[in-house]
Amino acid sequence: MTNNKPAVDNRRLGLRGWVYAGKYTFERYLYLGHRLSGLGLIAYMVLHILETANRMRGEQAWAELMAVFASPPFKVIEYLLFAAAVFHAMNGIRLMLVELGFFLGKPQEPVYPYKSSVLKHRPLTYLVMILAGLLMALGGSSLFFP
Amino acid sequence: MRETRLWSLHILVIPIILVLLGAHFALMHYAPIFYALSVEKAREFSTMIARGKNIGQFVVYILLLAAGLYHGLYGTRGILRELPWSPALAKLIDLGILIFGIAIFALGVYVTWWTFNFELGG
Repeated sequence: MTNNKPAVDNRRLGLRGWVYAGKYTFERYLYLGHRLSGLGLIAYMVLHILETANRMRGEQAWAELMAVFASPPFKVIEYLLFAAAVFHAMNGIRLMLVELGFFLGKPQEPVYPYKSSVLKHRPLTYLVMILAGLLMALGGSSLFFP
Repeated sequence: MRETRLWSLHILVIPIILVLLGAHFALMHYAPIFYALSVEKAREFSTMIARGKNIGQFVVYILLLAAGLYHGLYGTRGILRELPWSPALAKLIDLGILIFGIAIFALGVYVTWWTFNFELGG
């Protein structure tokens, strides 16, 4: 009897499917990073709205809160937030360009060996990640060494 | 068709977020570089109120609030909806995210409006 059932049913990976890279390697980890940074940023945005509402309690309460944010641990958190935003934005630009059909080359006959679209736009992937790294370094240097 | 519209809006708000969040970062986190203003001064109560009373800033904050919340909450919904929920639970998730989004947006608008109308020393 032949067993035609695939070894891994992609529809049933559940939470594991969010982190299981399979053979996609680099882009799959960018995908994971994009999700994690996105979730972190929306969580921060909600907290930020709640935190800025603190101004309605008056100048004294605001000054006390800002003093907390000026402490070294919060500077590090602030930098991580900046780095997450830069990564999410740069990777998002890559995703948008690819989804709109840029950097994928002209359509071709599917002749073996196939060249995947992931490989076709990999130079763009490297470029946006290098830019993200540069922006993160620039942001870090100005935040920690003003 | 409805899902296509929601997804398209998710993509269309990206340029707004890129420009406005970039400006927000420059103003609040990198004020010494872009505005020759210390971060402490940029975050002082009086500076923050003065900024919030500017009509341009008021509009920018509301736009950023709407675009950022929509983009982020739609993304969160997409991640959650990948899990094998029953149709009823999936609808409940949509409803929960919608109510949460409206509530937090309303709070953000109220705080921005409060700042816009605040009188220093009054």
